[in-house]
Amino acid sequence: MGKTTVTKFRWFWAWQDEAEENWLEKMSKKGYHLSSVGLPCFYTFSIAKPRNYAYRLDYQMFRKKDKGECLQLFRDAGWEHIGEMSAWQYFRKEAKPGEPTEIFTDVESKIAKYKRVLAFLGFFYLILMTLIFTQRLPHTLSDDPYPWWGNIPQAIIVLVLIFFIYAIIKLTIRIRQLRKTVR
Amino acid sequence: MTIQDDTSKYLPLTEATYYIMLTLIEPLHGYAVMQRVEQISQGTVKVGPGTLYGVFDTLEKAGLIVMAKEESRRKSYTLTPKGKIVLASQIKRLEIMTNNGIAAMNQLK
Repeated sequence: MGKTTVTKFRWFWAWQDEAEENWLEKMSKKGYHLSSVGLPCFYTFSIAKPRNYAYRLDYQMFRKKDKGECLQLFRDAGWEHIGEMSAWQYFRKEAKPGEPTEIFTDVESKIAKYKRVLAFLGFFYLILMTLIFTQRLPHTLSDDPYPWWGNIPQAIIVLVLIFFIYAIIKLTIRIRQLRKTVR
Repeated sequence: MTIQDDTSKYLPLTEATYYIMLTLIEPLHGYAVMQRVEQISQGTVKVGPGTLYGVFDTLEKAGLIVMAKEESRRKSYTLTPKGKIVLASQIKRLEIMTNNGIAAMNQLK
């Protein structure tokens, strides 16, 4: 008996959700079916015979009481909820001819999804900015010499900040592109 | 500000939102709404669960629909008085659009 599951590490940016869906569909066609997600970037697949699955991602930070309602609606519409990776919800459905395989059926709701991601990134961006300012402050107020290693945490925060700004810009561009397709 | 002025900001409704609100003249749960929309639009409008959940959330927060009952995790919603006013205004807009369209088509003949 060989292994029955395999875990892969892969990074996708928030605006690459369609590429991520395509990748998962290709994996299923090769017989690797997503069985769980959890830690960011880690995908666990169970090995079985190849199947034609559609994978779709939603972004929802649920309040506990709303989660059951939302998942029930997806279940009623034939979608299986595989798991959640930092508020990204992974859904799967067998792709059959004549069966709808989209969870978002208009541009407005696709834009709304990216806006939810953007709201989260914006919130984190503010926290990081606050961290930078509050970190600097104690040193400027005291007479102690500023130690060289004191800059390390700040450097990390600045790097993360650049990462966030990049993501916010790219997502905004993605939303603009989608807006142009609205009649 | 009267309710009338207050409702104009919701207009025009998207096609999906319009059909979803039309089905909510009586309490209905999510999947039933999806089926009803496809049926009454003669298959021209299909609403996916992601889109529907988002519209429910937006409409509920705006006070245009309200939860009517909950059975085994399926929540049924129905229009509020404010929702009914918004829907009526949208229908009025559509009526003007359609009448203009018919008049133009008659001239083309």
